[in-house]
Amino acid sequence: MLRLTWLIPALPLLGFVLLALFGKRLGNPFAGWVGTFFATGSFVAAVLVFAGLYQAGGERNFEQHLFTWLPAGDFSVDIGFLVDPLSATMILFVTGIAALIHLYSIGYMHHDENFPKFFAYLNLFVFSMLMLVLGNNLLLTFLGWEGVGACSYFLISFWFQKEANASAGKKAFITNRVGDWGFMVAIFVVFLKFGSLNYSVILPAAGGLARTTATFIAVMLFVGACGKSAQIPLYIWLPDAMAGPTPVSALIHAATMVTAGVYLMVRCNAFIAASAEWVSWLIAAVGCLTAFVAAMVGTSQYDIKKVLAYSTVSQLGYMFLAVGSGAYVAAIFHMITHAFFKACLFLGSGSVIHGMGDEQDMRFMGRLQRFLPITSATFIVAWLAIAGVPPFSGFWSKDEILEFAYLKSPILGFLGLVTALITAYYMTRQVTMVFWAPARWGEHAVREEVALAPAAVVAAGEGEEADAEAAAAAEVPAGEVVTLVNGLPVEGHEAVVDPHFHPHESGPEMTIPLIVLAVLAVFGGFLNLPFTHGTEFLASWLEPAVRLGYPGGLEPEGPSPLLKVLFAAMSTLVAAAGIAYARSVFKDGDRAKAARFEPALLQDAWRYDRAVTAFMGGPGRRIFDGLAWFDRTVVDGAVNGTGVLIRSVGRGARRIQSGYVRSYALGVAVGAVVVVVLMAVRVLSF
Amino acid sequence: MSSYLPVLVLFVLAVAFGLLSLLVSITLSPKARSQAKEAPYECGIVPGREAPERFPVKFFLVAMIFIVFDIEIIFFFPWAVVFRELGGYGLAVIGIFAALVFESFVYLIGNGALEWGPRQRQRRAEIVSPDRTLTSTIRRVGAEGRPAALEPAALAPAAHHAPGHGDHGHGDHGAAA
Amino acid sequence: MSSLAAVLAQAAPGLTAGPAAAAPTPTITVPDIEWTALLPILVLGLGAVLLLTLTSLARGTVTRSGYAIYTVLVATGAMATAAPLWGRVHAWDHLGKWELSPPYGPFSAVAGAIGVDGFSVFITLLIGVAVILGALLADDYLRREGIDGPEYYVLLLLSATGGVIMAMANDLIVLFLGLETLSIAVYVLAAIHLKRVQSQEAGLKYFVLGGFSSAFFLYGVAMVYGATGSTNLVQIKDLLAVKVPTHNALLLIGLGLMLVGLGFKVAAVPFHSWSPDVYDGAPSPVAAFMASGVKAAGFAGLTRAFLLGFGQFASDWQPVLYFLAAASMLVGAIVGITQTNVKRALAYSSINHAGFMLMALQAASPKGVTGLLFYLATYTFMTVGSFGIATLAGRTGDGHHDLADYRGFSRTNPALAGLFVLFLLGQSGFPLTSGFVAKFGSIAAAVDAGSWHLAVIGMVSAAISAFIYLRIIVAMYMAESDTEAAEKAPKAARIKVPFGAGLALVACALATIGFGILPNGLNRVAGEAEPVLVKEPVPAAASGADGAGLTGLDLTTIPTTPTTR
Repeated sequence: MLRLTWLIPALPLLGFVLLALFGKRLGNPFAGWVGTFFATGSFVAAVLVFAGLYQAGGERNFEQHLFTWLPAGDFSVDIGFLVDPLSATMILFVTGIAALIHLYSIGYMHHDENFPKFFAYLNLFVFSMLMLVLGNNLLLTFLGWEGVGACSYFLISFWFQKEANASAGKKAFITNRVGDWGFMVAIFVVFLKFGSLNYSVILPAAGGLARTTATFIAVMLFVGACGKSAQIPLYIWLPDAMAGPTPVSALIHAATMVTAGVYLMVRCNAFIAASAEWVSWLIAAVGCLTAFVAAMVGTSQYDIKKVLAYSTVSQLGYMFLAVGSGAYVAAIFHMITHAFFKACLFLGSGSVIHGMGDEQDMRFMGRLQRFLPITSATFIVAWLAIAGVPPFSGFWSKDEILEFAYLKSPILGFLGLVTALITAYYMTRQVTMVFWAPARWGEHAVREEVALAPAAVVAAGEGEEADAEAAAAAEVPAGEVVTLVNGLPVEGHEAVVDPHFHPHESGPEMTIPLIVLAVLAVFGGFLNLPFTHGTEFLASWLEPAVRLGYPGGLEPEGPSPLLKVLFAAMSTLVAAAGIAYARSVFKDGDRAKAARFEPALLQDAWRYDRAVTAFMGGPGRRIFDGLAWFDRTVVDGAVNGTGVLIRSVGRGARRIQSGYVRSYALGVAVGAVVVVVLMAVRVLSF
Repeated sequence: MSSYLPVLVLFVLAVAFGLLSLLVSITLSPKARSQAKEAPYECGIVPGREAPERFPVKFFLVAMIFIVFDIEIIFFFPWAVVFRELGGYGLAVIGIFAALVFESFVYLIGNGALEWGPRQRQRRAEIVSPDRTLTSTIRRVGAEGRPAALEPAALAPAAHHAPGHGDHGHGDHGAAA
Repeated sequence: MSSLAAVLAQAAPGLTAGPAAAAPTPTITVPDIEWTALLPILVLGLGAVLLLTLTSLARGTVTRSGYAIYTVLVATGAMATAAPLWGRVHAWDHLGKWELSPPYGPFSAVAGAIGVDGFSVFITLLIGVAVILGALLADDYLRREGIDGPEYYVLLLLSATGGVIMAMANDLIVLFLGLETLSIAVYVLAAIHLKRVQSQEAGLKYFVLGGFSSAFFLYGVAMVYGATGSTNLVQIKDLLAVKVPTHNALLLIGLGLMLVGLGFKVAAVPFHSWSPDVYDGAPSPVAAFMASGVKAAGFAGLTRAFLLGFGQFASDWQPVLYFLAAASMLVGAIVGITQTNVKRALAYSSINHAGFMLMALQAASPKGVTGLLFYLATYTFMTVGSFGIATLAGRTGDGHHDLADYRGFSRTNPALAGLFVLFLLGQSGFPLTSGFVAKFGSIAAAVDAGSWHLAVIGMVSAAISAFIYLRIIVAMYMAESDTEAAEKAPKAARIKVPFGAGLALVACALATIGFGILPNGLNRVAGEAEPVLVKEPVPAAASGADGAGLTGLDLTTIPTTPTTR
């Protein structure tokens, strides 16, 4: 069954080709079903391969060599797949979640005119992601890495008609470039050192590297991982990436692509193990700090997807904390559970947005539990999971990370615990505002009126109606709740729901994935229960893949039972506290009260984005101006000079091309003389 | 080198002969220019038309067909000399060669190279297009690159050339124009 | 085809042995003819003659697509007869169900005039492919342009015959024979568009200059004969192996002159001046064939004459090829970027490609030959694809080849524009297209041979030439069509892709991507297609590939053994 490995990426690729060629002819929704079919087929193949690997036993390391691309001298690039416990786990949840999200997208995107294109991109993304995960060498992983980056760019700016979406796409692309640079440097160094890029060659040999070399490689890989997995300081692109369609946010920017950095770190753990001590400290510190900083930002966002985006950044921080603490299994464990509950949350938010008629601001939601029963039920389950309430999946995986972080350093453990508190808080805030707090929908209509009013005045001139409307709008004090009924502002909110507006539950193709993911979010934790070694399925399964990362090849001693119990109790307590507190603040929907808990600094995401912009605009700009001047005058001068030279040489040479046969014949004759002279010189030289 | 001497001698002789004949004709011939002497045909008939007259391209074709057989004959001579030694093999080879040369003759005949009548139609094509009109025909031929504004004006004088453009065959280029 | 082979085989002894034996004084030895070796040539040549005869005798009975189908069938037949030769060369017992008769291994035929080895079979197949693609592209083109008659196809087949003869030539006279058969047909092909004055002009220029260069080649052959006393490459090689030629200068100058003739055919700088004018003026499908089939034949001639016959003198001709390669790569790239006509730009790009192939050839190593063959094979598809797009985009009259005519092409014809991008990226050497692998192989061969500077020049020229292709892509995609007419009536600007041309384009696209992603198969085949000189008689006793009597190409020793004179 392992021989089916090639099918796993081949099916989405085939789907992409079909959709790219005939997508328009297949139309809506058939193109979506085709895309879903290939994603599902890939999942089935992944299950078979997984089963095959499980039966194989032993080292559980299977390489499928497809062919050698460019067998030139010592530089050969193999196209081959590596199936080991790590990649098998990855392909399973990547294809599984991808299949569910394909299904979901059929419903979510049904009104979009570029429906087939969307599925073509999704299939291409799945293919690239699988190449990333399955590749048996760094270059193939890098190809997949670039592929998912490109797909992410396409999908963020899928609705490129809006300026913001297009620029968000560009931002993601450029930020990722910085990371890619690190990854590329790492690949070069690895090739220089080993003459190969195959994992089966380089990983076992990594231990023999000089410490500085290994450190350099590990740091460069980490830079790459930071870019893709949105860690400080390169995280700014991920919140903006929410401009893409929600299924894309769920699949790419929560469940799969952004975890590629974590995968890379776990895959290349041998390099981290061989490098200087401070590298793991750096990774752990960056992860921990990212987790905390992003969680704080999450407490004050209004956009339902922005909250989830910062939450994703924060959870990725946890995974890096785990990697830095040497808990590779915990990192993968959390990656899986996070994929389940975060995909569920994102898809749920998509369902909410869909049901609310494209409203994303949580301040204008509320009471949705009544109208979106399935969505809310699944969302709540996922919320409990991410908040760390036992026995939901998030509790188990987060707990394991915290324990290892504590073993690394108590400070890291403590900060992780605080972050867990904040996580419970901001997720409760979101759930409360969306599902339980008093309904405030229809208010978006007011906002639009307010926004439109001045324009209306200008347009209508002295039109009295416009004046009256503008006056009415102007009377509304900021922050107070006003709802429109039949176009008139009405005080109070309970009874003032816009009668023409009803949130609606989504269709089965959207709710079924939600239910499946919710179930997984509940039981995902049972993959690795910390009671005995017998229940740590994931740990024993992944053991061959992560062994190289352990110092001396021995698994470090894990947390003691006492510590486990202590941390379980503490995190339960912390989760409960966060939930309770957030509920007390946001339950009654009092915006004035709530606003005190949403400081402008955090709403502005620590002003980091702004600072980057300001720096780029201010001193940075001056530096860049200087650089640009240098570039213009010196570098460009040289480059353009060469260009101009080449062009003018070309033009000159063009003039020789007169079109007269006689001059051509002369040219041939002169050439003949040159050739004969060259030959004759050989004779004379003897 | 001495073996090349006869070649050199021959070369010199050939050049010398050419020069000598020129020299002799220049020095010995009397120079008496007259109208009649300048005429293309020095036989007393006064030319009625301009000398560089156009004549049907068929003349060239006949000359070229002639060359085909000329070459065939050239190859036949050496073969004939060693005909006996080559035997059946030589016969077969020269047969193939002759067949191939004759094939070109078949092609020429098939394409009407020897049909001398005026206006022999060469096109094998069926009617080009049933909806082809006078205007479209004129546009079709050489409209490329012509400014659009000129077309109405260009149309009128071009109209009476249309039939000529329409159906003359390639053999008749010279005659039709 | 097998039945034809049988007929010929039966006919052969009757024609040769019988009457010859009866002759009184058989002073002339009749060559023993290995008919199966000649089959590809015969199929192509007789196919052409047959088509000409039939259409002359029965005019108007064959529809015009019938010509194209016939041509494709003939070319396929020639390739089918070449396939068993490949098997025999590689000492396979049988190919599929057919038993392959000995002799196994590379062999010579027809008194050593024809050499059958992997190289010649490979080039034969390649020329067959070029003919098929050329016929498919031309089918609709000729109808569109109102060019009647079977002449195009007849000439295509005849020139292919010449190309195959060149690929198999083991004798300089045979090489010249092939060269002329190839060239004269192509001269006429270039001028076949009677209504287009540029086409006539192209034909005339090509003819005059081609005749000029052929004369150089013939002079070269004469000098080589003067120096060695033979025109047969096997004999020359044997002679040079045992005896240092007395007229060394004569030999080398002869080689130089031969290089002029062959360099002209492959459009190497400084013998390239004809190619932009001719590619631009000739009908686009003809230009496609010239850039693929003719170029392949030219390189086959170069390889056989120089690498095989005079491999011993590699250190003498390598510098000259080095010069030609560098000049071709640079001039092709630099002058190409200033062109505003797409077909001219493609012509310069083909000069640039010729430089890359010369670079592989000048390595004078098995790796170089592999690189050359790989390059030729992949380039055939890329260039036919590019000229195929130009065929369609040229529209009736074949005159819309200016860059400005391509503006907004992506909007009116997205599929064609996409394919064109693929072919152009391939030519620029973009990774995951066959062009990348081809350039890589060529540069790697040069590096292996120690020609570092040439490799660097190649890379620089590749970077410069990328602008040629980018300009076209930019014209198609970035620059909006300024004519509102295209906006209003997109149907008018949309080109209906005929079936034959579509088939050819898809095949080219698949090859360009396929050999880019999976280059190994082709690379292996190209590696097995090594050129070998084998002495007559056929090594019938030898059962294996490396039988006795091989004066094979011992290329590995070439750079290290300086020739002493």
